[in-house]
Amino acid sequence: MIADIGRCFLFCLEAMDVLRRKGVSRREVFHQIWRVTIQSLPTTAMAGFFVGAIMTVQFTMQVEMYGALGYLGGLSTSATVRQVGPLLIAFMLSGKVGAYTAAELGTMRVTEQIDAIRCLGANPFQELILPRMIAIIVSSFALLAAGLLMSIAGGVTLGIFFSGINPDEYLRHIPTIVGWPSIATGLFKCIAFAIVLAAICTYKGYTATGGARGVGRAVVQTAVATMVSLVVADWCTSLIADAIVEVSLSVFKSGAAL
Amino acid sequence: MIEFEGLVKKFGERTVLKGIDLKISAGEIVFILGTSGTGKSVLLKTLVGLLRADAGRIRIGGIDVTDISEEDYLPIRRRCGMVFQHPALFDSLTVLENVAYGLMKHERLSLDQARPRAHECLEMVGLGGQDLESLETKLPTQISYGMQKRVSLARTVAVGPEVLLFDEPTTGLDPVTTKQINRLIQELSRKLKTTAIVVSHDMDCALEIADRIVVLDQGLIVAQGSVAEILRSTHPLVVDFLVEAKAREVTA
Repeated sequence: MIADIGRCFLFCLEAMDVLRRKGVSRREVFHQIWRVTIQSLPTTAMAGFFVGAIMTVQFTMQVEMYGALGYLGGLSTSATVRQVGPLLIAFMLSGKVGAYTAAELGTMRVTEQIDAIRCLGANPFQELILPRMIAIIVSSFALLAAGLLMSIAGGVTLGIFFSGINPDEYLRHIPTIVGWPSIATGLFKCIAFAIVLAAICTYKGYTATGGARGVGRAVVQTAVATMVSLVVADWCTSLIADAIVEVSLSVFKSGAAL
Repeated sequence: MIEFEGLVKKFGERTVLKGIDLKISAGEIVFILGTSGTGKSVLLKTLVGLLRADAGRIRIGGIDVTDISEEDYLPIRRRCGMVFQHPALFDSLTVLENVAYGLMKHERLSLDQARPRAHECLEMVGLGGQDLESLETKLPTQISYGMQKRVSLARTVAVGPEVLLFDEPTTGLDPVTTKQINRLIQELSRKLKTTAIVVSHDMDCALEIADRIVVLDQGLIVAQGSVAEILRSTHPLVVDFLVEAKAREVTA
């Protein structure tokens, strides 16, 4: 496993080196962004909506016990934006975008299409890997952010219909509880998850071997490796984001005291 | 033109090529025959740098390519066009886009600019005529396997290689198409004045069109020579190939 992580890291370094030296076709990147976004937008939106809805249902039970239903919107949105939303939506994207990309590249590998690109004097990193990597990072970030917005919509909807709270009341405490640190943390996680997803699925697809069985194995490995890596990345980004927020707040407070 | 010197290729503990020494002159059509798993395809892939040699040297046109970087190999590969065992066409691109791919990449042509040359190449491989207009817009999955092989050949020829490498070009084809493809290999090599290296099991075809036949067994060259020399060979594997070819001829 450690060797595989190392190889994936070297694979990403090579991609960055090719990007620096040779660049990438913008047309192909836009084509891939369009494809990934269109392919995944409805599913991401739906997943986001239900993530928000689930959090609202869960928090309704908790806050009702303390007679604090007014805080439902703020609490459920905060938990969704900072933690649960990015992770669950990224899981969904790993199944959709990650598996698709790994299967596509894996099939190209085992049917010698990648070798054919090399034999035509072209660089597969420039032709295939970089456009997909960049597109997955950009699209996944956008999709995750869109999914988070939909999760707020899902929370509001369930808040009204399940918890019997009116929209104004639901939304009132969101700005006080969900501050810029929460939004920044959520977006930071979206970027980190998008990079993890792009790196793993392109690497696993590109290195697939052994015919149709090998492609199947690459897809399964992509799903497993992505999910495990996303959880680890969630933990790491939470720590980093919390540390940054803490430092920023102490700097802000000391600035205010002066 | 092409020179292998003591070429060794290993996969883990298994040594597939055990010291190949072979020189191929410009314009020659060389058939490499051998049983399955004997290292024929590995030899071709090592030549174009898809696999790297563990020992020995490879020279193409006097340039030692054994240890050059992947980046430096790219222009060398353009000089050595490879036709794979399976067509390896880009399945998201149309026939025209597949054939024009190399031209668009290297000569910075648009699809429209590359179209005449792509048509010329498709005609060269026997896919011209009135159907060309409808053929060029089809995806590889919408045409027959034999046609896919021809399109693959057209794609390789389009970038103007000096050497054509064929990895079992007739695998999966019926006898009639096999004959057509073999004839095509000969015609193209003569017309384009290219060197051709064909990896095959097909002794019939080798006897018909090869200038030289090289027989590989267990990673070593066990026989080589002109058609006449091969016909006189007493090596058991060569004899087996010749007997099998004769039997097929009789059956046919």
